[in-house]
Amino acid sequence: MSFAQAMLLAVLQGVSELFPISSLGHTVLVPALLRWDIDEGSESFLAFVVVLHFGTAVALIVFYRDTWLALGRSFARSIARGRFSDDPQERVAWLLVAGTIPVAILGVLLQSAVKALFASPIPVSLFLAANGALMLFGERLRRREHAVAGRPYRTLASLTPRDGALVGLAQSLALLPGISRSGSAIVAGLLRGLHHDDAARYSFLLATPVIFAAAVLEIPTLFAPDARAALLQSAGGCVVAGVTAYASVAFLTRWFRSNDLGPFAWYCLGAGILSFILFVTKVIA
Amino acid sequence: MKQLALALAAVFLVVAVLYWTGHFYPPGVHAKHGIVSVVLALLCLVWFRFQSAEGAR
Repeated sequence: MSFAQAMLLAVLQGVSELFPISSLGHTVLVPALLRWDIDEGSESFLAFVVVLHFGTAVALIVFYRDTWLALGRSFARSIARGRFSDDPQERVAWLLVAGTIPVAILGVLLQSAVKALFASPIPVSLFLAANGALMLFGERLRRREHAVAGRPYRTLASLTPRDGALVGLAQSLALLPGISRSGSAIVAGLLRGLHHDDAARYSFLLATPVIFAAAVLEIPTLFAPDARAALLQSAGGCVVAGVTAYASVAFLTRWFRSNDLGPFAWYCLGAGILSFILFVTKVIA
Repeated sequence: MKQLALALAAVFLVVAVLYWTGHFYPPGVHAKHGIVSVVLALLCLVWFRFQSAEGAR
């Protein structure tokens, strides 16, 4: 992998991890479409992916630093007190715990098996198209509930732990390469009655511990002999992924104040179907 | 419920140790499975704390 390829992958990771378009799907599809000769199973590539995730997680923590501090304080107070209160920050902190449990368990148990089964271009193309269809379906249901039936939106703090766990469960769909973590979590949030901006905020907060833990748990791969050779690429990739992830989350939090998932859904549907045709007809081997 | 919370915490801790020492299914050392088991044990202890505080009130 050249330095330019590494930086392009870092930008791709920073953007696609938070935009609802599946980072894992793009990491499989883009090198295949551009006919890059990259061994995605090599130690150096795995180490590179780890640092990209680390950069993304740090960007999310920095962007939401005030929120995380407030949530941490409320969470600690709640445990010290030994009971729940009406503090909205405390409720959100517990929602994050409820949402993280299913994704942590399913991720640890299934990630390797699912990746081994589906991380090749043709299944990824289909899952990417399915990701688009899922978001369009979610938007349609949301419009029926709120725009047509006139039901008011719920606030994030009004969700129950069951709602939080359901959104976490939906996020687990992102184990399938091509299904977006943020997309599935935002759709689940919309279906539980949230507005786009609250659904997106919950999705990004929920993603932070998962991405961070996934990166930290893979740190040993950085010390593999093969990985040390690509240290410069990894360091550059970490910074580039972090900066693009920060810009992405800043853009998306503004976007979801008054826009919906529509453009991302149509992009995934189109890119998924087009990639599927290109790979099945062997236009791209 | 307090007893159940404590029992579950103990079970998850044992499972974590078994994962780290390679004596649980699937065979082999599974560091990540062990970490998730410890996190679940900690959550059970938090649950125990909430139950205890409720009893004290």
